[in-house]
Amino acid sequence: MTSDRAKPTKASDDIAIQTFQLTKIFNSLVAVDSIDLNIKRGEIFALLGPNGAGKTTTINMLCCLLKPTGGTATVMGYDVNQQPFKIKELIGVSPQETVISDHLNAQENLNLIGKIHGVSSKELKVRSQQLLETMGLSDRAKDQVRKFSGGMKRRLNIMMALIHNPEILFLDEPTLGLDPQARRAIWEYIVQLKGEKTILLTTHYMDEADFLADRIGIMDKGKLVALGTSTELKTSMLEKHTMIIYAWNLTQKVINEMRSKYAEVTVTNGTMMITDRQLDFKEIVDRLHSSGAIVRSAYMKEPTLDDVFLHVTGKELRE
Amino acid sequence: MRFLALASRNLKETYRDPLALGFLLAFPLVFMLLFGAILSGDTISTYPVGVIDDDNTPLSQAFINEALAEVPALEVSNYDDADTARKDLKFGDLKAYIVIPPGFGEQVSQNWQGKETNIILNITYDESDLMLSEQLISIINAVTRSFARIEIPITINANPIHIETEITFIDFMGPGIIVFGLLILIPTSARIMVRDKEKGFLSRLLTTPARPLDFISGYSLCLIAIAIIQIIIFILAGWLFGMDIVGSLWLAFLIFFLTGLSSIGIGMFVASLSKSENQAEPLCWLFAMPLAMLSGVWFSIEMLPSYLRAIAYAFPYAHTIDASRAVLIRGVGVEAISSDLLFLVGWAVVIFAIGIILFRRSMRS
Repeated sequence: MTSDRAKPTKASDDIAIQTFQLTKIFNSLVAVDSIDLNIKRGEIFALLGPNGAGKTTTINMLCCLLKPTGGTATVMGYDVNQQPFKIKELIGVSPQETVISDHLNAQENLNLIGKIHGVSSKELKVRSQQLLETMGLSDRAKDQVRKFSGGMKRRLNIMMALIHNPEILFLDEPTLGLDPQARRAIWEYIVQLKGEKTILLTTHYMDEADFLADRIGIMDKGKLVALGTSTELKTSMLEKHTMIIYAWNLTQKVINEMRSKYAEVTVTNGTMMITDRQLDFKEIVDRLHSSGAIVRSAYMKEPTLDDVFLHVTGKELRE
Repeated sequence: MRFLALASRNLKETYRDPLALGFLLAFPLVFMLLFGAILSGDTISTYPVGVIDDDNTPLSQAFINEALAEVPALEVSNYDDADTARKDLKFGDLKAYIVIPPGFGEQVSQNWQGKETNIILNITYDESDLMLSEQLISIINAVTRSFARIEIPITINANPIHIETEITFIDFMGPGIIVFGLLILIPTSARIMVRDKEKGFLSRLLTTPARPLDFISGYSLCLIAIAIIQIIIFILAGWLFGMDIVGSLWLAFLIFFLTGLSSIGIGMFVASLSKSENQAEPLCWLFAMPLAMLSGVWFSIEMLPSYLRAIAYAFPYAHTIDASRAVLIRGVGVEAISSDLLFLVGWAVVIFAIGIILFRRSMRS
């Protein structure tokens, strides 16, 4: 399965996860298309993209659930094709669907994963207590989890990925379907792990990637279309600026003048949006004033990840 | 011990789900009770009973022709000697025979005169029919006491004999019904395994270092526990309905246990091939129902065409019915059924091996 040009090399010490032209094809659908990725140790890396972009398929190949159709990947230097069980010992996985054992209580669910990973009963007790406390579930530890709310199940889902203290953490949509408060709680916990563990998470929430990730890879249709820190991605957009002006008495004359001068000018309900490579804030405001318009407010729009996404994929990221 | 953690989880997941547990235990039991009730039903209102009059006095004659003949539940016929009666008992023409010993007339007449004297009757009956023997003895007891006008119970020398040639319907059907219960274990096993697959729990566990063998043994241990409980319940229910247990109970248990393993293996096989319960369930019944027909659960397979019998004997269940009937009804030992046992062991081993291979293959797609 290993392609010739991408033979796995001995990963350098600071690389935790590396993919080499990683590809997965289901029947005729290319779910993941030749992805090359390096994730450093201790880094939080977010794969951002709409549903069906190939994020989960990528994670599933990295945690040895799916066999790559082409290319390969290494996790802590172990090849996913050749040493899957070595990798499985090192990783913790929180799948996209909340999968817990319904008729077991929270403690038993944690114990199950812990015991499979060979954690001693003593250590298991300490760790599960810690986790239950941090995640605010200690008073429900002995309740069967089928009675849990969606948020509680989700938290347990993540705890089960952490119980054996893995070096590498795969979090597939960790806050999917949670209310803002519960999302915050999970974010704060993930931030605490920063630097300690290598975390690969997938999300289709911009703010989540922005808040948590050291670096972000944007995926679309199986391809990695952009890669960098949040700031890097946003500044790569800076070749175009957008200025937004709320004003009264905008005359057709001045609107036409702006349109002739700048690449993109739209006016809706007294809001003028101007986009171009170069914009002179003062000049535009002065010109509008002199035309008799009353400028109520004017500002340069900060680029967001949404803009980056729109820019690289040509569409908006929607649920 | 990863598989122990998995097995304990699977057991908890099963016994804490009242609906699933109810289905596991109640469904086969309902079948057993239903068939038991149908097959053991004592709808025969009269028992053919033979009488041998060794006393030959007017009183003993009166006892036979007036007292016994008056009882609607009895159909009395006279015999000259016990041997003929015994033969008819064996052939099932009689349910029991009474021998009136010499001195019977004297004993009755003493009682009529107010002197309490013990009355002795000898009854020989087929012990395999528990309900019959109890009813029969109490009927004869009551008739005799009223005839002799006494309060004290008479002495009945009960002489139960076991008649191997006379097999009641429940004796014959019992092993078949138990095998049907074990066939239901196929969908049960598949359901327990495929449930985890469908919900994604298996996928989650596949990201842990657990090996295929851990999963197989984890599921199997749980299912074996279920099988053992089911077999105990089935045998108990069969016994309550008057199924004969002549031979070694342990040997019968071993036969059923090995069959249970094969059912678990087939369930595992189906579970490996299906993605959801909706796929697994009909596939399981596709195995279970024809096998129930072919293996002789409902009727003797002697009447089947030879090619169907060949198919039946390619699966464990016809062997189970043969072997368990031989042990339970005829009381044969392990040597008489060794080839069936070997077949059952071999089948269980092969189906488990296939299960492990398929499971390993389905681990990573």
